[in-house]
Amino acid sequence: MEHDRASVKPFLADLLFGTTAGVYLAACLLFAAYLLGKAERAFTWAPRLVAVGVPLHAAQIVVSSLVLHVCPVGGIHFAMSVVSMLAASVYVAVYRRFRIQVVGAFVAPMALTFLLASRFVAVGPSDVPHLRSAILPFHVAANLIGVALFTLAFAAAVAYLIQERRLKQKQLGGLMQRLPPLDALDRAEHGFLVAGFPLMTIGILTGTLWAREVEAGGAAEIARAGFSYVSWTLFGGVLLLRAAAGWRGRRAAYGTIAGFGFAVLVLLLYLVRDATAAAAVALVGR
Amino acid sequence: MIIVVGLSHKTAPVEVRERLSAGAEALPVVLSRLAARSELQEVMFLSTCNRVEVVALASDQRVEPAMRAIREELAHHGGLARDADLAPYLYDKQGDEAVTHTFRVAASLESMVLGEPQILGQVKEAYDAALAAGALKGMLGRCVNKAFTVAKRVRTETAIGAGTVSIASVAVDLAKRIFGDLENHSVLLLGAGEMAEAAAKSLSKGARAVRICNRSFDRGAALAAAMHASATPWDQLEQEMVQADVVVASTSSRTPIVTRDMVKRVMKARRGRTLFFVDIAVPRNVDPTVHGLDNVFVFNVDDLEQEVARGLEARQAELSSAEKIVKDEVDQFLSWTRGLQVQPTIVALRTRAHAVLFGELERSLGGRLRHLPEGDRASLSQMLESALGKLLHAPSSRLRTRAAEGDDAGELASALRYLFDLKDIACEIGEGGDPEESEQGQDASGGGTLAH
Repeated sequence: MEHDRASVKPFLADLLFGTTAGVYLAACLLFAAYLLGKAERAFTWAPRLVAVGVPLHAAQIVVSSLVLHVCPVGGIHFAMSVVSMLAASVYVAVYRRFRIQVVGAFVAPMALTFLLASRFVAVGPSDVPHLRSAILPFHVAANLIGVALFTLAFAAAVAYLIQERRLKQKQLGGLMQRLPPLDALDRAEHGFLVAGFPLMTIGILTGTLWAREVEAGGAAEIARAGFSYVSWTLFGGVLLLRAAAGWRGRRAAYGTIAGFGFAVLVLLLYLVRDATAAAAVALVGR
Repeated sequence: MIIVVGLSHKTAPVEVRERLSAGAEALPVVLSRLAARSELQEVMFLSTCNRVEVVALASDQRVEPAMRAIREELAHHGGLARDADLAPYLYDKQGDEAVTHTFRVAASLESMVLGEPQILGQVKEAYDAALAAGALKGMLGRCVNKAFTVAKRVRTETAIGAGTVSIASVAVDLAKRIFGDLENHSVLLLGAGEMAEAAAKSLSKGARAVRICNRSFDRGAALAAAMHASATPWDQLEQEMVQADVVVASTSSRTPIVTRDMVKRVMKARRGRTLFFVDIAVPRNVDPTVHGLDNVFVFNVDDLEQEVARGLEARQAELSSAEKIVKDEVDQFLSWTRGLQVQPTIVALRTRAHAVLFGELERSLGGRLRHLPEGDRASLSQMLESALGKLLHAPSSRLRTRAAEGDDAGELASALRYLFDLKDIACEIGEGGDPEESEQGQDASGGGTLAH
């Protein structure tokens, strides 16, 4: 009986993983068909599939963490799966309001990629006891939601630049007809930045406090903090210049993309840290 | 037989078309005159800017008199002394050709702008008016209904309605691609010419406000009054551009009115908000280098016309798919009408068989079977009904199939009438509606008589 109960969880985790991946994959295919002009109806159904995928993805994260007996954000791969799920959730909540259905063409493949990565290339949790702190949960939560929002801002900024370029070049057919209106993309990008910036600020502050608390001072930690500050400055600059000097549209889009680039560098450093830690564990084990 | 007599932009100039067109007030009058003509069994009057047509149903033997009657009524409606005056402009079609034409008109394949959506609404209005006047009773009504189905199929299964095919609609489409909708945006009109008016009328639908800035304030004010807009003095142009989101320029100025430096100042005052110029003037009113500024987009008349040409080309490419749909639906409709032609024979055969069998049954029930209780009588009646249905099913369906396939079912029908002596039983063609329905109706009424 105990054995049966124990085997149910992995089965459920596998089932949720497979179903979520299938739903996201179907959404990706529909978005691709829409962007290639092969299926107009995909415009309606693809975002709905993402909406179906989000609760499945959330359930998969919860059940998988129960199976592995780890915190879902303990390792960067699993954390990125959480970020992509959060980004997809925000997308589902606002795509109608901002009329940015097509941003799902970025969100769905991202969610699928990180879902698969969390399973197949995860190097295991990197929970280091001496780095534990009461601040850490706030730091992680603020950063994960912030990164999810910046991911959406990045997707909107990229779509804006494509749409703006086509308008400037007066290429009115094809992809341009499938992208959202220029102003809608600009508004969406700004909205995601406004929502994400306070969270990033909390993340930066708690990160700084945490670093002092645990006396972290390695090269990787310094680089991570440096990139975070640059990213925060860029996002803040975009918001400030928009409010003060009317910097919007193309300039704001470039600023957002640059800020997101530095945020990605921070995540890459986490990835390197986890991979290094996993390699060290393997070496000791041998 | 269905017939069409009319004229269109392809056959008649606007002076002739406008004489024959019928607005909401004139339509019932002309319809009632047409419906009163004994040559026409059913009739519908279609009047649009580009087309005036009478679609009617006449008996096969009276097609020519029916067409003559329509020509006379059209001449009368247009206030012409002789219907011969209209002859050079009129076309007429009958039978398969008339059905195909009606379907093509509803599907916008005959329109001046291929695939334009208004025609379907106009055909629907004509249908409703004819229905209200009691001028549509059966086959023609069914034909027009089928035309709606064809139009819907063509619109959904092909891209014939896609793309933008007028300068005004391209301008609106571009504005929507930039701003999403125009509800919270305002339109500024530079100049008060005809071109600007046409574009601004489309753009102002749903816009928050429309302002007109013209060198002659009085002329601008007159246009503003006609468009429910407001006029503004010419020297306020720059301030107006700070407030506007879409600027439609169409003045006759020989040099650009809107310069790069001016727009730079305007954009600073707008705090970078997007500004869209529709420059339909020749020579251009907006300096082309303005398009290079951030968040500013300038589209001139060539840009818009290129998009119009692309839209028309795309629609033309869909024509063959649309034609296939029309042909498919015409075949289906004609097959139905051919089935209808043998329907009187089928109904007559069933009526005759029913009368003979149930006559005999009634006689028996009144004689040596009079002892049978009510339940047994009903059972006998049901048994006969069922046997009748089974016996006549094969000849009925085979006759209908032969007719629908276009084979000469007339000989078979004549043979049936001769063999079963059906000549005295009259049935009107065309009033039977759906063959299946009439047959069932006949069975039901026949079966009911004895059961009571």
